[in-house]
Amino acid sequence: MNLTTRRRFLGDAGLSAALLPFVTGLSSLQARSTPVKQRIVFIFTPNGIVPPDFWPEETGAKFTLKRILEPLAPFQEKTLILQGLSNRVRGDGDGHMRGMSCLLTGIELFPGNIQGGSDTPAGWASGPSIDQEVAQFLQSNSQTRTRFGSIELGVAVPNKADPWTRWTYAGPNQPIAPISDPYAVFERLYGQVKDRENLSSILDSLRQDLRRLSGKLSREDKVLLEQHATFVRAMEGDLAEVNRQKLHQPAPRLEAGVGTDNESMPKASALQIELLVNAFSNDLCRVASLQYTSSVGQARMRWLGIDEGHHSLSHDPDLNTGSQEKLVKINRWFCEQVASLASRLAATPEPGGTGSMLDHTTLLWTNELGKGNSHSHDNIPFVLVGGGLGFNMGQSLKLSGTPHNRLWLSIAHAFGHQTKTFGKPSLCEAGPLSLS
Amino acid sequence: MVSVFHLITNRTTGWLGLLGALLFVACSPDRYSKSTPRISARSGELIYRQDCARCHGDHGQGVAGKYDETLHGEQSVDSLTRYIHRTMPEDRRQKASEPDALAVAQYLHAAFYSPQARLRATSSRLELVRLTNRQFRESIADLVGSFGPMQQAKTGGGLVAEYFQSDGMNKKKKSILKRQDSVVDFDFKNGSPAEDISADQFSIAWTGSLRVPETGEYQFRLTTPNGARLYLNTDLAAGDSNRRDDSDAKREQSLIDLWVSSGGVSRQGIAQAFFLGGRTYPIRLDFFKFKEKTASLRLEWKLPDGPWSIIPAAAFSPEISTVTLVVGTAFPADDRSHGYERGSSISKEWHQAVTKAATETAESIVSRLTRLADIPASVTNPVDRVARMQTFCANFSSRAFRHPLSPSLRTNLMGRTFESGIDPEASVKRWLLFTLTSPRFLYPEAALVDWSDDLNKSLQTASRLGLALWDSLPDATLLEAAKTGTLVTSEQVRVQAERMLQDPRARSKLKDFFHHWLAMSEGGDLAKDPQAYPGFDPLLVADLRESLDQFVEEVVWSPKSDFRELLLADYLFLNRRLAAFYGAQSVEGESFQRVTFEPEKRAGILTHPFLLSTFSYHKSSSPIHRGVFITRTILGRFLKPPPMAIEFMDDRFDPTWTMRQKVTELTGKPTCMACHATINPLGFSLEQFDAVGRFRDRDNAKPVDAQSEYTAADGRVITLKNPRDLAVHAAQSRDARMGFIRQLFQHTLHQSPSAYGSNILQELDADFLKADCNIQTLLVEITVRGALQRVPKKSMNQP
Repeated sequence: MNLTTRRRFLGDAGLSAALLPFVTGLSSLQARSTPVKQRIVFIFTPNGIVPPDFWPEETGAKFTLKRILEPLAPFQEKTLILQGLSNRVRGDGDGHMRGMSCLLTGIELFPGNIQGGSDTPAGWASGPSIDQEVAQFLQSNSQTRTRFGSIELGVAVPNKADPWTRWTYAGPNQPIAPISDPYAVFERLYGQVKDRENLSSILDSLRQDLRRLSGKLSREDKVLLEQHATFVRAMEGDLAEVNRQKLHQPAPRLEAGVGTDNESMPKASALQIELLVNAFSNDLCRVASLQYTSSVGQARMRWLGIDEGHHSLSHDPDLNTGSQEKLVKINRWFCEQVASLASRLAATPEPGGTGSMLDHTTLLWTNELGKGNSHSHDNIPFVLVGGGLGFNMGQSLKLSGTPHNRLWLSIAHAFGHQTKTFGKPSLCEAGPLSLS
Repeated sequence: MVSVFHLITNRTTGWLGLLGALLFVACSPDRYSKSTPRISARSGELIYRQDCARCHGDHGQGVAGKYDETLHGEQSVDSLTRYIHRTMPEDRRQKASEPDALAVAQYLHAAFYSPQARLRATSSRLELVRLTNRQFRESIADLVGSFGPMQQAKTGGGLVAEYFQSDGMNKKKKSILKRQDSVVDFDFKNGSPAEDISADQFSIAWTGSLRVPETGEYQFRLTTPNGARLYLNTDLAAGDSNRRDDSDAKREQSLIDLWVSSGGVSRQGIAQAFFLGGRTYPIRLDFFKFKEKTASLRLEWKLPDGPWSIIPAAAFSPEISTVTLVVGTAFPADDRSHGYERGSSISKEWHQAVTKAATETAESIVSRLTRLADIPASVTNPVDRVARMQTFCANFSSRAFRHPLSPSLRTNLMGRTFESGIDPEASVKRWLLFTLTSPRFLYPEAALVDWSDDLNKSLQTASRLGLALWDSLPDATLLEAAKTGTLVTSEQVRVQAERMLQDPRARSKLKDFFHHWLAMSEGGDLAKDPQAYPGFDPLLVADLRESLDQFVEEVVWSPKSDFRELLLADYLFLNRRLAAFYGAQSVEGESFQRVTFEPEKRAGILTHPFLLSTFSYHKSSSPIHRGVFITRTILGRFLKPPPMAIEFMDDRFDPTWTMRQKVTELTGKPTCMACHATINPLGFSLEQFDAVGRFRDRDNAKPVDAQSEYTAADGRVITLKNPRDLAVHAAQSRDARMGFIRQLFQHTLHQSPSAYGSNILQELDADFLKADCNIQTLLVEITVRGALQRVPKKSMNQP
């Protein structure tokens, strides 16, 4: 793996060289008459769900949302609930590891040196994840190419890199670290804007100082500083030109001082959602992932009055109604985050298009397990909210025992990527699910 | 300098062509009679204006359509007189009389023809210059480093290694063994690394510093089937006490991350980073094995222009140094048209690079602000935190500008950057951006022009000392001396210069000079024909480079520091690989050892195989490249650029000839011989060395003839039988010394010597001789003169 160092990144996104391309990219995007945009966000929350409080009883278009999914009520006709999908990938690694790292990849982990509580040690996934597959497909076409392709966001993801904390992969052995710090996300998305603002703010003082010093110098020496002043003036002009070409949405103003710790989760989640919506409206990317903690995540949701760690609670038996109630609350909170993102998108008109941004964006909320205390890879929750992929939304489907690779095939195809298999080929034999 | 690039193609251009018609054929047989000629009726200047200027221009600059080459050269007045008398004016049948020829030769020699005259004409004032790229990077490193402790590792030899027994996820359960490891190249196979450690799971952490030999882009390569992470030039993150990778503590970004293994297959991680030479950087390598069948780990690097190699023990130190901020932004190359880097011109690209580098630096500083501005977590009041940031900013600018920040500028900047509504970190960023793009930082003398002020004068001296010896900012000791008025007399300045000379940054700068002087920084590919020279591979070339570096360091940093030793030494440094290749007495181990040789076979740098190979063709030696290098670089003589390109094509010659025969044939025309009469004998004297610098007594199955007659600049004819004769001549030659002094001067001060008075080089030469040609003393002398130069002396001889 060739790690990009901070300096490299700065070099790539640096001021002078990248000043104009960024702007050019934007203006060309605005002017472009493209096919309707499609976007997708993969949302992860850990440790399984509480089935009786999650799955609707009914199948089809008429269904009642259970407690956990209630926050999605305003979007029920845009919601597709898929029960009965299983992560059938086997091999090295414990249930959580495979649940996490085989979730978006649909393929085995390499044998490795990371040991879980049971099973054999394992390493990274041996293939790319579906979000990266779609992003690469979109980036390969100038009509759908965006500046970043995809962004990977996190909320309170532990500062460790292992198969429990990574779910998106650029390829075999290439996990992508989500960014949990909203300010770092901002830096990535709008660093150049800020750099330009900072630079613009000092150029005037700089020219004054150049003039003051020039006055003290001999005729011959003055020439150099006067030449320097012309470069500063030219840069001012360039920056003014860049600033005239506005972003569709200005960079968001973020509340200061939000940390990446457990207590900051609600605020960090809100900021990440804000940044994500903003990035979409500026068409900086069309694929995103949003990862809440990690597999075996131990969020302590004190703001809900829950002091225990999420993973510990998820091991408690079904009969422990106190714990189950807490798990319902925790999952409902996660659902609220999904709903919050949906409502932000629903409230934003599609730039250069019709309807709201939610009409062109599909949120796909999932989990590494079906149920925490059984570590089951069956009935993993897959809840889709939004539109744009041509799926028949507003349904509750029961598919029973279907490999989840087939859902990834459906999504690839919905984006026009007609791949025959994704992940482990033998799990794709029946082809994509018919969701339209 | 002839580019080594040509060597790859086995063809070269230059040095074989016709020379300007005025240049006299030095070895012409008709020797001019030394009888005193009559005095000319006209002055030399008048003769020149009346008879010569119509073709050669007012100042010898040439006239288009007539004779458009500039009259520059290094022939003596005698030679010029003879030539003019025989051939000039070309458009008249009546040639100049001997007295007229002498008068006009004397005039043009002094007015514009000779190197001295040209030196006087090129620049006679201290120019306002910007920081060179090297100075920019070094200054930023020291500027940022001056906040907080600056610690450089001194010792070498390896890294501290700590071996742990692990237990499942607990990678460092128990420390079993602590020792020093010289290199990181381990293959534990399926076994244990030490007693009392189990074979199936263990962990090792290496810590210390990495010493980087020269400035440039480095690559690092980590290879293992297990788990490993490499951290380079990073702090320990706040809250992390030991960088234990099994903890949840916040960690700095690793340079290479191979923590998770993959099927027990060996994996490689490669990363690159820019480093400043001569400095040390903190390094940590963390490793663990968990149930993979085998365990191994290798850490390699690739120096700028070098091959991949295991990082040698000499590059490691068990001491931990502090982080150094290295600007990675690429800059357009500095002007080197005068043979040395100088900041006399600017361009839009340069201005953009500076802005980008300033942004990069500000970014990095803000990310480490609590450390650099000393804002511990215990300071919680936002007002106090901002106050500390402001103090930091003001100090930062004072140090960057090399003089105190004026109250008005401070107030102005505070108002403009720490305005309400933006967060204080952004304010700091703006302040830093202003500071690092300010002319006060970029043009060190611009803000110190007011010489009337004593403090300013001393601060200027301090600034110049920093630039001369370190290419960097003055340190705290210098600034203190300036403030207390103890940086005024030349004795006081010399004391400081001598102190500064002991700093690694002075070594780094001098090393940079020798790389430039000895054409080691050209970055060429020294590859030779693998059939003809098996074993002359990139690793061997890297060894050769190191060998020359060590030789120069040995001579220069010995107490005698004798310039002549560079030429006359009867030893060089070889490691095992080089000793075997060059057939020297055997050397054990990887490290370099001093090996002496028969004095008549080799002599100092002249016969160092790195230079002999550099100045050779792909398959054969090149007396012309060697001769040009010696003429210009070693003997300090002037050669005009060749007026036309002629390729050396080996297959055009009789295949039974020696190289000497071929070159003699190729350059035989009198017009070629104008320069080649000087070049060839010097090159022939090294014909006992093949294209890779190995000693030989046969070339193309014929005995080597290395004897030649060389005519020195003063007209003396010297018989060169072997390299030592040449070395002895060079060591005694005033021109050679003057050439060395001039180049060191330019490299140190980045200005033309003539700006310091027309006799500066002669004066320095006198001092140099008095000091037994001590290079360190010379450098100090140049530095002192540069630091105290106040009013530019106008040259009296300017045309």
